[in-house]
Amino acid sequence: MRKMLVVAVREYLAAVRTKAFLITLIIMPVLMSGSILIQWLLKDYRDTKTKKFAIIDRTPGTRLYPAIEKTIQAYNEKTIDPATHKAILPRFDLELVSASMNTSEAIAEQRLELSERVRKGELFGFLEISPEVLGWSKGEMGKQEPLLRYQSNRPTNLDFPHLIEKPLLHAIQDIRMDEAHLQAPREQIRAIMRPVSIEALGLTSRNPATGTIEDASLQGRIASVAVPIGFMMLMFMVIMMTATPLMQGVVEEKMQRIAEVLLGSIRPFDLMLGKLLGMTAVSLTITTVYLGSAYGAARQYGFAEYIPPDLLAWFVVFQALAALMYGSLFIAVGAACTDMKETQNLLWPVMLLAMLPMFLMGNVLQEPNSTVAVGLSFFPFATPMLMILRQSVPPGVPSWQPVLGVGLVMLATLLCVWVAGRIFRVGILMQGKGAKLNEMLRWVFHD
Amino acid sequence: MLAVAIEGVTKTFRQHVAVDHLSLQVPRGSIYGFIGPNGSGKTTTLRMIMRILYPDRGVIRVLDEPGDNKPTDRSILDRVAYLPEERGLYKQMKVREVLHFYAELKGFRRSRPDIDAWLKRMDLSAWADKKVQTLSKGMAQKVQFIATVIARPELILLDEPFSGLDPVNTDVLREAILELRRSGATIVFSTHDMGVAEELCDFICMIYKGRKVLDGTLESIQDAYGSDTVRVHLESSAALDNLPGVVKITDFGRHQELRLAPQADTQALLACLMQCGRVRHFEVTRPTLHDIFVRIARPDAAPEEESHA
Repeated sequence: MRKMLVVAVREYLAAVRTKAFLITLIIMPVLMSGSILIQWLLKDYRDTKTKKFAIIDRTPGTRLYPAIEKTIQAYNEKTIDPATHKAILPRFDLELVSASMNTSEAIAEQRLELSERVRKGELFGFLEISPEVLGWSKGEMGKQEPLLRYQSNRPTNLDFPHLIEKPLLHAIQDIRMDEAHLQAPREQIRAIMRPVSIEALGLTSRNPATGTIEDASLQGRIASVAVPIGFMMLMFMVIMMTATPLMQGVVEEKMQRIAEVLLGSIRPFDLMLGKLLGMTAVSLTITTVYLGSAYGAARQYGFAEYIPPDLLAWFVVFQALAALMYGSLFIAVGAACTDMKETQNLLWPVMLLAMLPMFLMGNVLQEPNSTVAVGLSFFPFATPMLMILRQSVPPGVPSWQPVLGVGLVMLATLLCVWVAGRIFRVGILMQGKGAKLNEMLRWVFHD
Repeated sequence: MLAVAIEGVTKTFRQHVAVDHLSLQVPRGSIYGFIGPNGSGKTTTLRMIMRILYPDRGVIRVLDEPGDNKPTDRSILDRVAYLPEERGLYKQMKVREVLHFYAELKGFRRSRPDIDAWLKRMDLSAWADKKVQTLSKGMAQKVQFIATVIARPELILLDEPFSGLDPVNTDVLREAILELRRSGATIVFSTHDMGVAEELCDFICMIYKGRKVLDGTLESIQDAYGSDTVRVHLESSAALDNLPGVVKITDFGRHQELRLAPQADTQALLACLMQCGRVRHFEVTRPTLHDIFVRIARPDAAPEEESHA
C-alpha cells in the first residue's frame, strides 16, 4: 500500500513539475477554442468575386423579375466600400432566361441545360419561378411542388436566395392582392399577416438575495447549452492530457528497462495502481485549475448561478472515475507495446470508446431524457461524459441516475483495472516486439 | 543459513525450456558467481529469485523464509536487491530523487545520510542535484548500483554488474561489493568475465542450456578437472604439433596452453618440447575457469564434457 503511494507520488510529481505541463495547461484551452476563434476572425474575410445567377420567370409576362432586379441593384451598390472603393461583398449579376415550353420534358431539359452551365462555372446558380406562385385559391394551397426553386452546386452558400426571398415574397403578395382586388392598404394587410414566432426560454426565478423576480435571460439560454458542452469537452480534454503521458511513461519504463527494477520491489498490480492514482491526481489538479478559474470568472461576471455547486461535485467524481477507467486502458496499451509508434495501432479501440460521447453530444443535448440518451449514458465508457452532459442540461436528471451511473462506472473501472493489470504484468517485461490483440487476450485469460 | 535455496526449479517459455531442474544453494555471507553463455538461463533464474517470474515447478526460498510462504508473497523482497543487466533510470529525475525513490520502494525511510555517503564514496556528490540524463554512462551505472543497494539489502543480485565499466570504475565497484559482503550481505552475480569470477567468488555455478553443469568453490571445480593443463612458453615461436599426449592446443600468443589426454606423460612432453626450441616456461597446472567454461560451452564440446563427467 505504502509502495503504491510512493509510485503515485513520483508519477504525480514527474507529471506536474515539468515545464511542458504548465505550457499544456495554458495552451490546451486556447487550442480547443481556437477553431471558434479562427472562424470569428475570418468572418469578415469573404469571397468578393462576382457571381452570376440565371432567373427563369415562368409567370406570364415575367412579372416577378423586376422585383428581383431591383433588389439586386440595391445590393450591388452596397458591395463597394464608398470610402476605400474596395469590394467588400460579392457582386451579383443576373441573367433573365426566357422560359421554355410549359411541358415537363421541356422544363427538365431547360433545368439540365442551366445545370450544365453551373457545372462549367458560367453560373453560380439559377432560380426558377413557377407560374403557380401567383395563384391564391384554396385549391392551390396544398400543392407539394415547390413554387420557387434555387439550384446550385454549392448548396451551402445561400446568400443569394436569402437576399431575394423577402422582396420576392412581397412582390408575389402584391400581385396576389391585386388579382384578388383587395381594397385595404398593402401595409395594413402585411401588418395583419406578420408572422409570429415562439421564443424558447428558460424559467423565471426569484433572486434569493434581492427578492426580486428575475426573468429568464438570454444568458440563461446560452448557458444551458454552453455549460454542458463545456463540462464534456473539459472531461475529454483532461483524460487525453493525462492518459497519453501515462502511456508514454509506461513505454519509457519498458524501453529504459526501469520496469524490471521496479518489479523487484513492488507487485505489478500495485505498480499499476500507483501510476493510476498518480494520474488521477494529475487530472484532478488540471480540473481544479480549469473549473476553479471558470467558476471564478463566472462569479465575477455574475453567471455563477448557471454552474450549480452540486454539478461541480458530480463532475469531479466522474472525472476521477474516468481517469481511472481510461487510464488503466492506456496503461494496458503502453504495456503491450515496445515503442510509441506501436501504441498507435493498439490505441484506436480505446480512442473510439473515448470519442463515442463526443459523437453523441448533439443528440443527447437535444433530447437529454430520451430513452436512447438515458440508455447510452449507462454505457460505462460513455457514462462520465454523457451523464454530466445530461445533468447539466436543465432540468437535469432524476438523482438515482448519476448514482447508478457511478456504480456501473466503478464496476467497469474495476474490470478495466483487472484486465489492464493482467496485460501489464506480462507486457511490462516483454521486449523486442509489441503484442497483438489476440496475445493480449491470452495474457488476460490464461495463467 | 542459506541466502537462496533453489530446489528442482523448471521454467518454460512456450516450447523453450529456459531453466531445467535447477537446484542450488547460496550460503549467507558469500559471493556467489553465476557463469554461463548468453541465453543459458542466468537472467531467468535471477528474475525467479526476485519473483518477477514464477517457476513452473520447484521451490525457491530466499533468506530462510518459512517454507509455507506463497511464491507470490513479496514481503521478503524488501531485503533483496536486484540490478538487472540492461539498466535504466528515470532520465528526468535528479540523482538524489531517484535514489530516494528506490529506497522508499523498498520501504527504507530516512535514506538521506546513506545516499550522501554512497554518492561521496562513488565520487558522485557533485551530481546529486543533476538530472540523470546529464550523467555519463559510467556515472549512470554507478548511480544504478547505489539505487540497488541503498535500502541495505541482505541479498544482492547483480546481473552483469561489471559490463561496460572502465578499469577504475570496475575497481570501485569490486571494492563496494567486498565491503557489502564484509557488512554481512550475500552477493549473487552473473558475469561473462571469468577473471572477475575467479578473483571474487567464493562459489561458482555454471548454467548451460538451463542446467547446472558446475557448482562449488573454484578449487573444487578445478580439482574435478585435474591437472591436465600445461602452460608453456618457448623462445622461438615454433609450430607445436604432433606432441605426445596432447589433445588440444590453445595459443594465447605469448604462451600456449596444452591440454593433456588422461594419463599422458608430462616428462615425455617436456622432452619433446625441448626438441622444438628453448623452453622458457613449463608449468603443469589446473585449467583456468575460462578454459573450463570454453570446454563446456563450445559447440564441439559435447564429447569432451562426457570424458570428464
